[in-house]
Amino acid sequence: MTRGGEAFQEFGARVGTVALLALIAGIVLGWSPLIPVAVALAGGLYGAELAISEAPLDAAAAGVAAALLLCTELAYWSGEERTRWLGDAGDGLRRAAVVALLGVGAFLVAAILLALVDAVRARGLAVDLLGAVAAVTILATVLAASRGRRPTDGA
Amino acid sequence: MTRTGSPRIVGYAALAAVGLIGALALRRPELAVAAAPFALILAIGLRTARDPGVSVEHALSTDRALEGAAIETLLEVAADRSVDRLEVLVELPAEVDVADGSRAHAVRLRAGERRELPLSVRCTRWGVFDVGRVEVRGRDALRLVTWEARFEQLHRIKAYPTPLTLQHLLAPLETQAFSGSEVARVKGDGVEYADIRDFVPGDRVRSINWRASARRQGLVVNERHPERNTDVVLFVDSFVDVRSGGVSVLDDAVRAAATLATRYLERRDRVGLVGFGGVLRWLHPGMGTTQRYRLIETMIETGVEPTYTWRDVNLIPARILPTASLVLGLSPLVDTRFVAALEDLRARRFDVAVVEVDPVPLVRPGSSETDSLAYRLWLLEREVVRARLVALRIGIGTWGDRDLDTVLEEVRTYRRYARLARA
Repeated sequence: MTRGGEAFQEFGARVGTVALLALIAGIVLGWSPLIPVAVALAGGLYGAELAISEAPLDAAAAGVAAALLLCTELAYWSGEERTRWLGDAGDGLRRAAVVALLGVGAFLVAAILLALVDAVRARGLAVDLLGAVAAVTILATVLAASRGRRPTDGA
Repeated sequence: MTRTGSPRIVGYAALAAVGLIGALALRRPELAVAAAPFALILAIGLRTARDPGVSVEHALSTDRALEGAAIETLLEVAADRSVDRLEVLVELPAEVDVADGSRAHAVRLRAGERRELPLSVRCTRWGVFDVGRVEVRGRDALRLVTWEARFEQLHRIKAYPTPLTLQHLLAPLETQAFSGSEVARVKGDGVEYADIRDFVPGDRVRSINWRASARRQGLVVNERHPERNTDVVLFVDSFVDVRSGGVSVLDDAVRAAATLATRYLERRDRVGLVGFGGVLRWLHPGMGTTQRYRLIETMIETGVEPTYTWRDVNLIPARILPTASLVLGLSPLVDTRFVAALEDLRARRFDVAVVEVDPVPLVRPGSSETDSLAYRLWLLEREVVRARLVALRIGIGTWGDRDLDTVLEEVRTYRRYARLARA
């Protein structure tokens, strides 16, 4: 946001506040759909800043990816801990380690992809098609996974 | 187990889609890079998730206990495949509390591992309760997929009423033919001195009262009162229950009935039971430990079944109410049907006494003037009911904040003076 002008900073502050409020509401009230909304707002703000600045490939994208993933994971984890469970010793630390590992993994994956994009800087229809296919695949996965409960053997 | 997706699936898919579409729209590959980890986690998580194959076994240390006593239970969970987080929730009836431990556990199981989860529960009141419903939820390491199952291995717990302190019992007016602990009014072989009479051939020499014989210039023998048993029928009112907080008149009535039954049976008396209410329950008078358990197990099934049907004592089989038995009523004297039954029994010349389990402390007068007036009228109606029963020579003791011994002493005193007045 610091790279944008004053008007963008003001707009960004407003969007950021809405995103933060949505995240807090999602955690405190247990409304899990608000969590991706909050993260999408933050990601959208980053995208808007990229579009406005018209800078070449942003090296901070890997860090942004890791931060967004960590934020999402921590928010969902908070929601799961609303019920008090008697767990094994070290459960919390183990889960924190897994989340940290996911964050590191996200950073590495994003960094590798960023390096690939930089190396193979191509514009045109091929990239657009690839993006469209990826988006459709994701949506198809969501539809297949949310088709409903299905009992498995032994249920 | 039933497989469901966690909210993460939709959230991550939405974020990945939004990132990719944003990258296409704004022509900025950084957004696709930011969305890639979400898509990757989705792909890996959905691909590697497997049903853990959880099994649960539930065992109790005992299925009978006093109310308030702790009962140890053991839950054993096992999984065929490893599960990163297995949430186990034991459902308990409202009257069963956790005494020690937690009914919600979250454990991690490796493939083939078995874990034991101890839990101590206690029943907050007497009754029959089914425990053993367990809900299980397994989650994978990425928390994308959930497997849920519900296990029902029901165990029936019987919580017996807590015995009350009771030193002295109410003695029936008449005794029965068998040996017992109650001094009979008739004369026969016994310990308690009754009278003297002239010696007749056949009397035992041991019975001769030598001092009286010396004074009378003729042989006289002692007569004694034998110890006989008695018949007692506990008449429990289950038409209505008055509750406030954790106190209930029906709970107290059953506790008193269980204590009275135990004490009478210890004296070798025969005790029967009639649960008079929406559901009519009865138990033929009997003796001994077996009868005690029969009585208590019938009592703990007592509950209020709302009904507007008229009930009278004609519904009770004659053999349940032996002649010359003491009918001891335990009731809040709220429902007129129970009061009418007591009056009917007295009219049939049964020996009747009542322990009134006082509902007045549990009822608030109300804030408005109409409520206060209704409350005062209700109190006056209760006085009228008591006066009617006393007029029929039914002894009543009100059991509220006093102990049961004091209440029975009040009834005993009334019966003694009523007998003297009759004589």
